[in-house]
Amino acid sequence: MRFKNPWVSFLFWMAISLLYLPLLYLIFQAFLENPNDWRSGFTLKWLIKLFDSPALWGPLLNSVEIGVLSATLAVSLGTLGAVGLSRISGLLPPVIQTLIILPILVPEVITGLSLLLFFLLCRFDLGFLTVVVAHASFSASFVYFIMVEQLRKLDPQMSEAAMDLGAKPTEVFWKVTLPNIIPGVMGAWLLAFTLSFDDFLISFFTSGAGLTTLPLKIYSLMRIGVSPELNGLSFIMICISTFLVLMLVSKEQSRKWVLRG
Amino acid sequence: MKTPSVIPSSAWIFLIWLILMTLLPFSLILGMSFLQRTDLGNIVFAFSLKNYQQLLDWIYIKVLLKTLWLAFGATISCLMIGFPVAYFLARVQGPLKSIGLILLFIPFWTNFILRIYGIVSLFGSNGLFNQLLASVGAPQASILYTRLGVYIGLVYNYLPFLVVPIYSSLEKLDPFLREAASDLGATRFQTFRKVILPNIKEGVLIGSLFVFIPMLGEYVIPDLLGGAKEAFLGKVMVEQFFILQDWPLGSAIATVLSVLLLGALWLQNRWTSKNQQPQTQELGHAI
Repeated sequence: MRFKNPWVSFLFWMAISLLYLPLLYLIFQAFLENPNDWRSGFTLKWLIKLFDSPALWGPLLNSVEIGVLSATLAVSLGTLGAVGLSRISGLLPPVIQTLIILPILVPEVITGLSLLLFFLLCRFDLGFLTVVVAHASFSASFVYFIMVEQLRKLDPQMSEAAMDLGAKPTEVFWKVTLPNIIPGVMGAWLLAFTLSFDDFLISFFTSGAGLTTLPLKIYSLMRIGVSPELNGLSFIMICISTFLVLMLVSKEQSRKWVLRG
Repeated sequence: MKTPSVIPSSAWIFLIWLILMTLLPFSLILGMSFLQRTDLGNIVFAFSLKNYQQLLDWIYIKVLLKTLWLAFGATISCLMIGFPVAYFLARVQGPLKSIGLILLFIPFWTNFILRIYGIVSLFGSNGLFNQLLASVGAPQASILYTRLGVYIGLVYNYLPFLVVPIYSSLEKLDPFLREAASDLGATRFQTFRKVILPNIKEGVLIGSLFVFIPMLGEYVIPDLLGGAKEAFLGKVMVEQFFILQDWPLGSAIATVLSVLLLGALWLQNRWTSKNQQPQTQELGHAI
């Protein structure tokens, strides 16, 4: 359908193009012979060079490992919470509702600083584990809300029937509830992985000196200045992130969350 | 109504996790903000309001005013750019609606650091913008490492978070309101000003607050796009922790920001619960 007011339509497409311009230029820049001259011609040599360099593989592997572990932790916790609370989620006292939404609502800077303080006071060594736990601490709430919605769609009579037939609550969960919500669990896992993979700020605060994820590597290179290595890493990061988002969008149950930001 | 006493044990694992990993760390920040530190950076366990008093010093007030002003300008710009975007998305029908929403959000699910780097490579001294200026013989424009750089970064990164609340307020509007207004002879502008705007103003205001307050605490944008000279509240806060080793003062700033945010949340809850009155009634008064 054509939009009635051409000005609104024009402004919309204008804004969208401006949003994409920086990212498209980053992709373009990764292939430039000389990254500081947009007319210098294209080359693949920087990207090929990057694939042999430890600057890519170490941080990438760290990011993936942290993503997998924190997503698994967050999905376990969030799903447990949702299974327990989904029936009464509307009736929960406001204190508990606020507690659950807090990790989503609070700016990352404050979450990161508070977790840093917590880890330091507990005398935990900052590194791989603290980053995994920190990522899970904010993505568990996202998982919770996705799973509550999934469970609401589920027919409650199914688990009641199982109980009537003599199944214990744990059996009901493993044999009836879980198989029915698996698509939601997978969507939530993917969302938690994406949140972790893309996270910069919380990793920045909780990783200590030794650990480097891909966003942290890009940040540290950025402080030095524009380089072909940095452009290559940015290109790879854009590809992975876009791939993850498109996977998420194609999954019905997480689409709403992606669009909500 | 069910009370927490009937919360099943499986949910307790999640709730205890939240208490340990969210509530406890935030309480530590809150508690820390009332402590003091020695000149060597050691923490002294003595309750005082000194940190909050220190925030009223002229140097911090100056930083605060600068930050408020910049974040305010960025929020207004987000509103001005975001409004037509939200309006388009709310009014358009069919597949274009979901395509538009997806197009709006993909850039924001790519990495935050990349978006900043994108701005650096567009506006840096060797960036595309300056290359284009040089190719027509114009002098270099220094945008990066100035206030303007921070401003561009803020607008760019927060835009969709303001589009969403405007969009959902517009979606909730009864489509007959507009028709009724035009049947009663209102021009498009009158309809907008007297019918649409009054009905969405609370949603827009809350949305703006949820963009404005986190902007104040922004650290990476002023750090990477603003250069060393630009003081910014969020940057000052993080530097208290990492550079100046004054955790109590940094915690006090974080606490103030969190309280502001909780205030906005409270306001939102209040307004959404009272907002059930029929919109059509107001229409009669408006025209």
